[in-house]
Amino acid sequence: MSILYDEGQQAIATETRRVLEARINKDDLLPLLETTGAYHEGFWTLAKEQGWTALALPESQGGLGLGLVELGLVAHQAGRTLSGAPFLTSSYGVAKAIELYGSDAQKARWLPGLANGEAVGAIAFASGANALPARPDIGLDGGRLDGRISGVTAGSVADVALVYARGPDGPVLAIAELANAERGIVPSFDNSRCVADLHFGGTPAEALSRAGPAPGAALHILALQAVITAHEQTGGAEALMEIARDYAITRRAFGQVIGAFQSVKHRIAELYGLVELARANCIHAASREGEDDFITAAAAARLSATDAYDTAARDCIQIHGGIGVTWEIGLHLHMRRARSLAIEQGNSLFWEDILVDRLTGEAA
Amino acid sequence: MSNLETYRAKAAAWLETMVPTFGRDARRGLSEADDLALARRYQNAKFEAGYAGINWPVEYGGQGLGHLEKVTFDSEEMKHGFPSVYFGISLGMPVPVLMQFGSDREFVKERVLKALRGDEIWCQLFSEPAGGSDLAGLRTRAETDGNGWKLNGQKVWTSWAQYSDYGVIVARTDPNVPKHKGLTYFWVDMKAPGVTVRPIKLAGGDSHVNEVFFDDVKIGDDHRMSPVGGGFAVAMATLMIERYVATDSAGFGPHLDLFIDLAKATGINGKPAIADGRIRQQIARNFAMRNGLNAITARAMLMMQAGMVPGPEGSLNKLVSVRSRQKLSELAIDLQGSDGFAFDDHASQKEDWTSSWINAPTGRIAGGADEMLLNTIAEKILGLPQDHRPDKGVPFNQIPA
Repeated sequence: MSILYDEGQQAIATETRRVLEARINKDDLLPLLETTGAYHEGFWTLAKEQGWTALALPESQGGLGLGLVELGLVAHQAGRTLSGAPFLTSSYGVAKAIELYGSDAQKARWLPGLANGEAVGAIAFASGANALPARPDIGLDGGRLDGRISGVTAGSVADVALVYARGPDGPVLAIAELANAERGIVPSFDNSRCVADLHFGGTPAEALSRAGPAPGAALHILALQAVITAHEQTGGAEALMEIARDYAITRRAFGQVIGAFQSVKHRIAELYGLVELARANCIHAASREGEDDFITAAAAARLSATDAYDTAARDCIQIHGGIGVTWEIGLHLHMRRARSLAIEQGNSLFWEDILVDRLTGEAA
Repeated sequence: MSNLETYRAKAAAWLETMVPTFGRDARRGLSEADDLALARRYQNAKFEAGYAGINWPVEYGGQGLGHLEKVTFDSEEMKHGFPSVYFGISLGMPVPVLMQFGSDREFVKERVLKALRGDEIWCQLFSEPAGGSDLAGLRTRAETDGNGWKLNGQKVWTSWAQYSDYGVIVARTDPNVPKHKGLTYFWVDMKAPGVTVRPIKLAGGDSHVNEVFFDDVKIGDDHRMSPVGGGFAVAMATLMIERYVATDSAGFGPHLDLFIDLAKATGINGKPAIADGRIRQQIARNFAMRNGLNAITARAMLMMQAGMVPGPEGSLNKLVSVRSRQKLSELAIDLQGSDGFAFDDHASQKEDWTSSWINAPTGRIAGGADEMLLNTIAEKILGLPQDHRPDKGVPFNQIPA
């Protein structure tokens, strides 16, 4: 089954779109590409003011007690306007891990700050293309982390990291304050993602002791984030489809608007198909949190949303011709974001395997 | 359980009881004549059980229920391979449009009841050699003849015309006005003198479509179902009736589980196919696509239950599902390698990859070619302009051939 958004949920989408369109524009985002370690502070201030940081966290911990459906709606709108910072997703993942698997003391220490946005979280799971390595790069022994992990989104500014670490008896989930780690900012094609390599040298950390088998717990967190990211990707793809449409009905060539040529109009109609499939998968996945098929639904959402955003970025620029590749028009902001979101939370190759393992009964 | 779920459960239980007599296995090996006879009995059983004309008015023999109940029943019925195909067009479009636009109400009532019982079959005479996607370009003429009309011309791709008792037809009554404005809509007796039906064998070997020739076929003015010159609007209304139909994210081909079974049973260069990344990627991509279509359908159902009009994204189903089925069927034949040559032209395209593959092109053309569906999405949903149409506004008889 799927769901229909109720009035409250529709109001969240409408209001989020209104404030984002009023407060975020590409001219503020373009300079961020040419500097490292900086994000759009106005976006994050807005996220805190509007309560987006608290939206999907429990009321007992300073949250608003809503869920993946509502946060997905915000992420979709953030994707439309190119969110200025990656923390809505990364802080949410850290907070959900602490909420689900942490001790009362850990919850009390971190959740209120993550909920009001004063603390920023980052997820440190991947080893290159391996989103959940069998043997993580970071070791946890005696309450201390050692090792190096590359390419952590939000890593250059986060206060706390959720680390997928190599414990004495296999992988564990741990949280560590990043003030005690070395960070090497990674110059990237999408610098406002605040990507950094993290170097832990005896950094104090605490395991999340209620996680049970860590691979399953980590996959669940990754899947929650993947659903949020899929909404963001779908929002970006939808915006690009509309931008392409608007251009195609105004730009003229050979005596008519270019949208009257089937090579152009069919390209945009195909984007509509990709966007609607991604949207349907996103709504479905968000509504399946806590159900047996959640991972499957999240994988489907992730795959279709990545496909939609990459394709929309490619085709929207193509339809614009020369003006589409200029710095000033900013379509490359979406093209860059489509790729950074494609590799955050596990790439398509990772999710294809996760999905097929479940469809064939290979996954435990 | 919601009312709809109760309805679904009851329908599913009834359908189960029909399986031994009318299901896939009961039909295996039957000649088409025997299959059609079985189909008429099945349709009559549906009528007696209250599953014919589910969303039609009670006064015409229907059940007076909604689209939801009909779509729910259809999606359950689809699972068992029942012989409903002969009545799909008849009850899908021509008969509902007759109910709406037929002038002789007693005649209409009698026809509707016979059609619901499977005693009579109706066909839809729209496409012509000179106009398929371009319906309004049709050339079959209806000229005044005494108090009535005289039909001359040819239709093509007419499903089940060889078994049809009646048909609905669009013909040109005025060639001196632009093409959309000179059409009129009629019903016609398929057994009338001058009507010749010639089946067309399709690439897959079956012959459910036909050429239909009209040579001085005389019909009364009471056969007219639109104002003179107002036929195009009724033709469009005909195509809108089937807006809420049961969909199949498998594109009316095999379920993805069957592909997974095949991949588990076959190998590539000595390694299991199911472990091969190329195969796994196709499974994952097809699942994501089908899951998305299913979610679109589920949301459309919820909207209808809530009394809302479903969004236009439902129009993606046929476009996306059938062309994906075509490619997946090719891959399934590849997977079988030299075992993939074997072909049973009676196999079901829902169960057999080769049958699915060879019939897939028909699915991408019938009921709106992919290119027309893309145009519809672009123009009606996204507001993109129509293609350049040199015949626009030009009287039909002045359009260069």
